[in-house]
Amino acid sequence: MTNENLKFLIVDDFSTMRRIVRNILKEIGYGNADEAEDGQTALSKLKGGNFQFVVSDINMPNMNGFELLKSIRADEELKSLPVLMVTAEARKEDIVSAAQWGASGYIVKPFTKATLEEKVQKILQKAGI
Amino acid sequence: MSDSEDLYHHVGRLTRQLHDALRELGYDRELESAVGSLPDARNRLSYISRLTGEAAEKVLNSVDETKAELSRLSSEAREMTASLAQDPVSAVASGRLMCFLDEVGRSSNRADAHLTEIMLAQDFHDLTGQVIRKVVTLAQSLETQLVQLLIASSPQETLETASVAPTPAAAQAVEAAPQWPAELDGPVVVSAGRNDIVTDQSEVDDLLESLGF
Repeated sequence: MTNENLKFLIVDDFSTMRRIVRNILKEIGYGNADEAEDGQTALSKLKGGNFQFVVSDINMPNMNGFELLKSIRADEELKSLPVLMVTAEARKEDIVSAAQWGASGYIVKPFTKATLEEKVQKILQKAGI
Repeated sequence: MSDSEDLYHHVGRLTRQLHDALRELGYDRELESAVGSLPDARNRLSYISRLTGEAAEKVLNSVDETKAELSRLSSEAREMTASLAQDPVSAVASGRLMCFLDEVGRSSNRADAHLTEIMLAQDFHDLTGQVIRKVVTLAQSLETQLVQLLIASSPQETLETASVAPTPAAAQAVEAAPQWPAELDGPVVVSAGRNDIVTDQSEVDDLLESLGF
C-alpha cells in the first residue's frame, strides 16, 4: 500500500477542527480520511475499519482522547496503530501521561501545517509504513 | 433615637441575621467560591476576545495579500494577451510568455499558502469553544448558588409565589448536555507565572525528548 492510500481517522468534537486536519492531510498527500466526534464513535469505527493512522483530540465528551488511546493500546487488533494527539491540553503532566500511555506524537493547538506534516512523516517513518 | 437612625439599626440587625444564617447554612463559603471564580471567567472572556481578534486579523491580512496577488496576476495576464495579439512570435521568442507562465505558477502557490493560513485561522472556533464551555459551566454554577441563596434567604410566602427554580426545559437541557472530563484544562488562558505548562510546540518536543520519547 502506498502512503497516499493510508486511511486516517480524525477524532475531534469540533467539526471545524476535523475539517482543518482533514484538509491539511489532503494537502500533504493523505486524502483518505474518515472522522469521529468522540472516542466512543472512534473506537467503533476503528474496529474492523482498516485504519492505519489516528489523529485525536483529548478533551472530548463521552470518551476522551486519553481513554481512546488506552483502549487502542489494550486492543489486540488495534494496539500497534499510530496515534497522534492534537490537543489544546498544554500541561506537562498531560503530555507525559500521553507518552506513557503510548501516544506516537503530541501536538499542541494552535498548530501549523508544517508541524502536522513533520509529525505525521516522523511517525510513519518510525512505524516503517 | 430619630426615625432614620432606627431604620439604620433595623437594616444593620437584618444584615447581621442574614450573615449569620448564611454562615450557619454554609452558603458564605459557596458565595465566596462563586465570587472567586469571576476573575477566572474574566480571564477566559479576555482570551476569547483576543483569540477571535487575532483570527480575524490573520484572515483579513491573508485576504488582502491574496487579492493583491490576483490583481497583479490579472494585470500581467492582460499585458500578455495584448503582446500575444500584437506579435505572438516575439512574445514567445523573447521568453516573456514563459516568464509569465512561471509567474502564474509561483503566484498560485502564494495564493494557496494564504488560503491555508485562512483555513488554519479557523482553529479559533475549537479553542474558544472549549473556553466558552467552561464559562457556561461557571455561569450555571453561579446561577445555582444564587438561586439557593435566594431560597435560603426568602420568607416562605415569597417563595411560594416566586419562580426561582430552573424551568423544566432548562433542567432537561442541562441533564442532556454531554459531559466533558472536568480534570482537563483546555486551552491555557493565562500562561504568565505557570511552569506546569508548555507554551509552544518546541517545548512539547523538548519535554518528550528529555524523557526519552
